[in-house]
Amino acid sequence: MSAVDQMGAAAWLCLLAPLAGTILILLAGTRISRAAAAWISTGSVFVAFAGAVWAFLVLHSQQNRSGTIWTAWTWLQAGSFKVGLQVLVDPLSTMMMLIVSGVGALIVLYSIGYMAGDDEERRYFAYMSFFVFSMLMLVEGGNLLLLLVGWGLVGLSSYLLIGFWHERPSAVRAAKKAFVMNALGDATMALALFVLIAHSNSLAFTTSFATAGSLSQTTVDLVALGLLGGAVAKSAQIPLQTWLPDAMEGPTPVSALIHAATMVTAGVYLIARTNPIFEQARTIELIAAGTGALTLLVAGLIALVQTDIKRVIAYSTMSQIGYMFLGAGVGGYANGMFHLMTHAFFKALLFLGAGLAIHALAGEQDIRKMRGIGALMPFTKWCFLAGALALVGVPPFSGFFSKDPIIASTVNLGWYGWVFWVCGVVGAFLTGIYTFRLWFLVFTGPPSELVSSHFAAPAAADGNGAEGRGHGAHHGEGPWTMLVPVGVLALLATFGGWIQWPPKWEYVTDWLKPVAPTLAAAVPSSTQEYVTSAVTVLVGLAGIAVAWAMYGSGRIAVPKAASARQLLEHKFYFDELYDALFYRPTAAAADWLRRDFEEPVVLQTGPDLGQTTLDAGGLVRRLQTGLLRTYVFALATGAAVIGIVFLLVK
Amino acid sequence: MLGPGVAWYLGVAAFLFGTGALGVLVRRNVLIVLLSLEIMLNGGNLALISFSRHAGNGAGQIFALAVMAVAASEVCVGLGLVVALHRRRLALDVDRLSELRG
Repeated sequence: MSAVDQMGAAAWLCLLAPLAGTILILLAGTRISRAAAAWISTGSVFVAFAGAVWAFLVLHSQQNRSGTIWTAWTWLQAGSFKVGLQVLVDPLSTMMMLIVSGVGALIVLYSIGYMAGDDEERRYFAYMSFFVFSMLMLVEGGNLLLLLVGWGLVGLSSYLLIGFWHERPSAVRAAKKAFVMNALGDATMALALFVLIAHSNSLAFTTSFATAGSLSQTTVDLVALGLLGGAVAKSAQIPLQTWLPDAMEGPTPVSALIHAATMVTAGVYLIARTNPIFEQARTIELIAAGTGALTLLVAGLIALVQTDIKRVIAYSTMSQIGYMFLGAGVGGYANGMFHLMTHAFFKALLFLGAGLAIHALAGEQDIRKMRGIGALMPFTKWCFLAGALALVGVPPFSGFFSKDPIIASTVNLGWYGWVFWVCGVVGAFLTGIYTFRLWFLVFTGPPSELVSSHFAAPAAADGNGAEGRGHGAHHGEGPWTMLVPVGVLALLATFGGWIQWPPKWEYVTDWLKPVAPTLAAAVPSSTQEYVTSAVTVLVGLAGIAVAWAMYGSGRIAVPKAASARQLLEHKFYFDELYDALFYRPTAAAADWLRRDFEEPVVLQTGPDLGQTTLDAGGLVRRLQTGLLRTYVFALATGAAVIGIVFLLVK
Repeated sequence: MLGPGVAWYLGVAAFLFGTGALGVLVRRNVLIVLLSLEIMLNGGNLALISFSRHAGNGAGQIFALAVMAVAASEVCVGLGLVVALHRRRLALDVDRLSELRG
C-alpha cells in the first residue's frame, strides 16, 4: 500500500471501529454479559486509537501535509450540488483523532470499573462507543455537511448520556436543556451552511474557503456568525453556557469525556477548521475572542462558590474553553488547539480523580462533606494534584505551556488586546483560587466523619447517595481499570505540554501550519512571551496562596460579602433571566392559547359539527316515505317537468 | 319505404309506455308492478327500433338488444325478491312494504 492509501485505511478504521462496537453491543443485547459489552466498547475505541496513531505516523512521514480526502460514495446529489461521504486526513484532523480516541479509550476503560453493577451497563457502553464514533465523524468529516452531521450526532449522544439515569427527573431535565440549547447552535450553523451553498454551490472545505474571499463583507460576516453560534452553543460559552453545569447529572466518566475533554471543545476545532472564513470576517473572530474572555472570567468567578465537586470542575471547563476561544479568536489557532489538547489531559484527569473520590464515597459530591479524603486515598490525591497544577499553569505541568502563549498572543492587538490580556491574567488568578479551594477542601486535613465511616466499614458503604448504585464495597482506591487511566492521564497532564516550549520550540504550531497558520498579529515577541509567562505563573501561585490561606490553613477568614456570594451562587442569574425571557412567556402564551383558543374553539368544533349534521339529517329524513309509489310519482313528475322545460326552451 | 310511417310506430310505443307507467303508479301488487315495468321497457325498445329504421342506422337496434339484456337481469332479481317475500309470508303489496320510511 502506498503511504496515502495507508492513511485512508487508517482514517476509515479509526472512524468505523467504534460504530462497529456500538452495533455489535446493540445487536447482541442480553446474549452477552455486561463485562463483554464493556470490553467490546473499550476494545473498539482502542482500535480507533490505533488507527489514529497509524494515520498520524504516516502523515508525519510525508513532505506535503496539506491533507487528503477520501470519498466513499456520493451521498447527496441535487442538480450540480454534490456531497460525498468523505473523510479527511490533515494535521488538524489527525491531532483531534488522537485526542478523541486516545483520551476516549482511557475514559471508556475507566468506565468499566466505575459503572460495574449498574443495571444498564450495556446501554451505557453502546452510547459511549457511539459518542466516540460521532466525535470522530465531526473531526474527520471531509466537508462541512459531514461536520454538521457529526455535530448533531455528538449532541444526540451527549443527550443520551446526560440522561443516562433516566429515572432521575433532574437528569432528564438536564439532558433536555443541553439538547435544546445545542439545537440553537445547530440551527445557526445550518443557516450558515445554507448561505455558503447559495454562494458557492458546494460544502467542500476548499471551495467554501475559496469562495469566502469573494463574498460581500455582510455575507461572510453572517456565515462566520452562524458558525460562531454553533461553536458557542457546543462549547458552553456565554450566552449559551447554562446547560454545561447541569450536564453534570450524567455519570462522571461521561462528564470527563464529553463535557470536558472532547465534545465541548469542538467549538475551538470549528474555528480552527474554518479559519479562512473567520479571517475574512475579522470582527466576528474578535467577537469570538471577546466571548471567550468574558466566559473565562464569569465561569472562574462562579466556580469560586460552587459546592458540588463536579460543578466546580465544570465551571473550570467553561473557563478554560474561554481561553481556547480567546486564543483561536485572536488568530493563534495552534495555541487554541494546543490548549485543547493539554486541557483534555488534565481536565479528564480531574474528572476521573473526582470520580474515584465520588465512587469511594458512594456517590457523595458535596465538597464540604468530602473533607480530608486525601489521607485515605493517596494515589488519587497526588494524581489530582498533578491535574490541579496543570490547570493553574504551574511549570513544568502541561497547562503552563499551553495557557501562557494564549495570553501572550493577545498583546499586539491594540487596546482590546490589553483588555483580553488583563482578562486572561485575572482568569489565571481565579483558576488558582478555585482549583486549590477544591484541593484543600477535599484532599487535605483530617478526614471528615462521612469519609472515615466509608473507609472504616466498606461493607456498610452501599448506595444511598446520588450515584449510589453499584458503588458498593471497595478495596483500596478502586479497581485497576479505574486507576490505570488516572495514572496515565496524570503522566500526560504532567509531561504532555512538553511538545511545545514557546517561543523556542513550537512543534504543534509547525504541525498545524499547513491547515491553520497562526496570524502574524497573534505572534508575540520573545520578551512579551517571557513577561506574560512570569506574570501568569506568579498570579496563579498567588491564587494558590490565597486558597491555602483561606481553605488550607484557615489563616484568613473566607470573606462574607453576602451579596456577591449570592450573585455567584445564582450563577449571575442567567438561568433566572432565561426563565423570565423565554420560558415564562412561552408557557404563558401556551396557557392562554389553551384556555382561550383550544378549549373554546378547537375542542368545541367537533361536537358542533356533529350536531349540525344531525339536525340537517332530521330535516331530510322526511323525504324518505318508504312508499314506492311516491318515489315513482316523483320520478314521473320530474321527467315530465324536464320534458316540458326542454320543449319550452327549444 | 314499406308499411306505415314512423309516427304510427311511435304512437304504439307511447301507448305501451303510458300503459306501463299507469300500471306502476296505480297497482299495488308487486308482480303486476314488475310486469308493468317490462311493458314500459318494451315501449322504449319499440321507439328505439323505429327511430333506427327511420334513420337507417343500426345503432338503435343494438341499444334495444342491450335494454333486453338488462330487462332480463332485472326480472331475475325482481322475481327473486318476490319469491323471497312470499317465502317469508309477507304481503306482496308495495304500500305495505314501507320499512325504509325515514
